[in-house]
Amino acid sequence: MLHHVSPTLVRSAAAAAHPVAIEDFLDSVGVEPHSRTGRGAFNIWGNAFPAEELPCGTLIEHDRVPFRFPPADGERPDHLRCRGQRIPLPAARADWIHVLGAAERRTEDSVLLEYADGGVRRQWLRLSDFWPQTGPRFGERLAFRTSAMLYPRHEQRTMSPSVWHQRVPVAVPDGLSALVLPHNPAMHLFALTLVEEQA
Amino acid sequence: MRVELRNIRPWRHDLGHCLHATMGVLLAGHGADPLHVLGAAWGFGYRSGDLRREEYYVPFGARSLLGAMAPHHPVSSRWHRPPDPDAAWTQVRDAVRDGRAVAAAVDNYHLPFRPAYRDVHTNHLLTVYGFDDERDEVLLADPVPPRFQGAITGAEFAAARASDNPEDHDRDLFFTRNPIDGRWLELSVGPDLPPWDLDHVRTVITANLAALEADRTLPDGYADDGAGLFGGRRGLARFLDAAAARMRAGDDPEVVDETFVVAGTVLAETGVHADWLATAGHTFARPALREASRLVERVAHHWSAVRIIVANARTDTAAAAGDLEHRAVALLTDQDRAMDLLARAG
Repeated sequence: MLHHVSPTLVRSAAAAAHPVAIEDFLDSVGVEPHSRTGRGAFNIWGNAFPAEELPCGTLIEHDRVPFRFPPADGERPDHLRCRGQRIPLPAARADWIHVLGAAERRTEDSVLLEYADGGVRRQWLRLSDFWPQTGPRFGERLAFRTSAMLYPRHEQRTMSPSVWHQRVPVAVPDGLSALVLPHNPAMHLFALTLVEEQA
Repeated sequence: MRVELRNIRPWRHDLGHCLHATMGVLLAGHGADPLHVLGAAWGFGYRSGDLRREEYYVPFGARSLLGAMAPHHPVSSRWHRPPDPDAAWTQVRDAVRDGRAVAAAVDNYHLPFRPAYRDVHTNHLLTVYGFDDERDEVLLADPVPPRFQGAITGAEFAAARASDNPEDHDRDLFFTRNPIDGRWLELSVGPDLPPWDLDHVRTVITANLAALEADRTLPDGYADDGAGLFGGRRGLARFLDAAAARMRAGDDPEVVDETFVVAGTVLAETGVHADWLATAGHTFARPALREASRLVERVAHHWSAVRIIVANARTDTAAAAGDLEHRAVALLTDQDRAMDLLARAG
């Protein structure tokens, strides 16, 4: 007999999770503290997330997946735009690469998975818009929605932007060595975590 | 006197902007389905130098914005340019009093519900659906986040319509420096909108593909001329190629504004068309249309990338030329796949 259950309920618990070190690849400031530095520009209009409402600089868990959310002081880069970076991955078995991120208008692109044996495989990364009152398009779960959005000269309490929790499937789970991101600066990433599911 | 027109409800597509949202609200107010009307067209056309610095710009829309957006339907829109601020209000009030909701151009700087309020000047389009003379209020519908439907004062509305829309800061990069001039827009819808059936869907897809493959614009059917008029599939490829070449040359800052604004209009049209195809495929049980919808949606997602590649290149266009070239190759490949599937899907 078939039981129809919500997708969340059939998700396997993680057997192991490995947050990926992306500190060396952060290149953009999209989060600002209330003290405001004026450097925050998640998008081209200079909008930013308020730092006090994000878990900046902490190891957090969202939907049972740990993420290392970058520190954010409004000066140093706190996330990356996808510009073809090649990010080394920990030597670990992985069924999924979970990401925290968002896009400027929803978009999708392939990422390249590199393996230690020299092989490469492509998979899709799809990210929905961070813009307020705009839902997920690609099955993401909402990770964070702040109560306000920062503008260059004011804080807008009627605008609540989103950070999404997305995942990229890894068809061949053993031997991953690196992830090559697409050249798509509309895609922003805050954190990556390799996840191995329980058998 | 107080007038509040019924059937004014929010409508918005996430890949559209204020033009699609306002037209959607007004079409629905006329009893038409916004997605059926606004989602039918899928083509490409642009005339070099035609760009206007307004968020509601659409190529070949100077005579009729709605006509350019919905060339498969008997719909049109007409700008009114009142001679002075008094006429600007009287004309809009008369239309609403007579039962016709209208669109008004505004500068967000003067609208309390817009994030740009008393911050930056930028032009925008929204729906006027009522007024209250005694309370000196105007009723506005604006589904663009933060969604608003309600009253502001007559003075605020008048200021937003009379604004010169000056460039005070560098934040609104694309839609300033274009006076609002009290403009307002009147729609004509029908009579005899085509029925929403499979014959109509097939007719529309055939016409879209014919224009693309014949290298013609969808509205007005202008042929790509190999120079400043870009039309159809060839025009699309030439437009992207020319933009990348201008960016690589590095001495043409206008390429950023022009490519960004045109990409925004193509993104919107492509995204809404993808949903139109999905709805048609679902309604008429045609899986191939649903698959084509997904391919067209992928093309839209390339345009999301184009828009931001270009927008972030303002200080060094040459550095981003390669990204745009590679993106164009991928976009055109997916565009061709979508066209091939649509040709077989009807």
